[in-house]
Amino acid sequence: MSSISHYLNRFKDSLQIDQTIRDGVAQELYTHLEEKTQDLEEQGLSREEASKIAVQSLGSPELIAEQMYETHAQGSWKEALISASPHFLVALLFTSYYWQNIVYPSIILALTVGIAVYGWRRGKPIWLFPWLGYYLLPVVVSGILLLSLPEGWGWMAALLYIPAALFVFIHIMRQTARRDWLYASLMLAPMLVTFAWFSSLGMGNEILASDWAARLQANALWITVSFVGLAGATVAFIRLKQRRHKIISLLIPPLVVLFAVVAASGGNICTWSWLLLLFSLSAFAVPLWMQAKAYQ
Amino acid sequence: MNYGRELLKGNTDSLLLCLISRQPTYGYQIVKELQERSNGYFQFREGTLYPALHRLERDNLITGKWQVLPNGQQRRYYYITEDGRQVLSRRLATWQDFSTAVKAVIQTETT
Repeated sequence: MSSISHYLNRFKDSLQIDQTIRDGVAQELYTHLEEKTQDLEEQGLSREEASKIAVQSLGSPELIAEQMYETHAQGSWKEALISASPHFLVALLFTSYYWQNIVYPSIILALTVGIAVYGWRRGKPIWLFPWLGYYLLPVVVSGILLLSLPEGWGWMAALLYIPAALFVFIHIMRQTARRDWLYASLMLAPMLVTFAWFSSLGMGNEILASDWAARLQANALWITVSFVGLAGATVAFIRLKQRRHKIISLLIPPLVVLFAVVAASGGNICTWSWLLLLFSLSAFAVPLWMQAKAYQ
Repeated sequence: MNYGRELLKGNTDSLLLCLISRQPTYGYQIVKELQERSNGYFQFREGTLYPALHRLERDNLITGKWQVLPNGQQRRYYYITEDGRQVLSRRLATWQDFSTAVKAVIQTETT
């Protein structure tokens, strides 16, 4: 492999932004390196020596990638607000008990599907990923609900539904992670916050229990706090420039949820619920762990 | 910390805007022009130029367009925008005032 190809591969491996932008910058660097190499060759250097000097003059590819990331990864305030809006909408559902009226959740669901599909088709802009999380939430919840159908029917429906749902989920997850593991974390956040509350309220296996609405209502304030925390973390994630700061912002939601759940229950959570809660929150760290591995 | 490097860092955007305002140009040409016009005074890691160009483009001060040369090679030419011209004009005026003030102080000290 030539020193120029090796250099560009190192650059591309270090830069996790939109593939189109990354390839464009790599092409610019390639043109620069080729032109400098040609100039040096005209001065009498061999191709190998010339390309080596050209690469050295450009400097560390990791450093350029880091600076380029800071330029492209910071979203505008507008993008930050669009990203945080689904969290605010869900928080509003619980603040005003709108969740009890099927019309409001339905409007939010329709809005979510529309915006997620629009963003997915328009090149997956940075504001899309929280919306995608809510888009996937009903896909997963529907699978769980199917298991609660009368005996026999539930499993049959699940057998048909789960492979299709898994296909959609894995496809979106792979596409997102390919772009950036941190976006996968951002996307999973609403799902994990929801499951954390489900598990802590003991609704994992009895979602259709008669008192589920009462339990939700009793904890509405703390559920709202969780989603507002998620919205705050999302705004911070979009606005921050440096990657390490973005990672830290993604650690805020699990901590807020943990605090909210413990505060709501007064610390009175059974062992099984604790396990489910910690499992939900630790799942949040998987994409972050993948990112740390990629760094190494 | 190298004072000259810090000065260059603080004025990179203005230097780039100034060069691009004269004629549309591309990365490697900018590096050569900066070195030639400054008689080799401005020495820097050439790769740091590209994040600076993209930052200016993100702020809508310049715009980049790909052009295919007759030999098939692709180059990204940068053009200054109207916002870029206004920002450059303001920065040049500030720089002139600053430079005049610094000179006046230095001359007073040395005479």
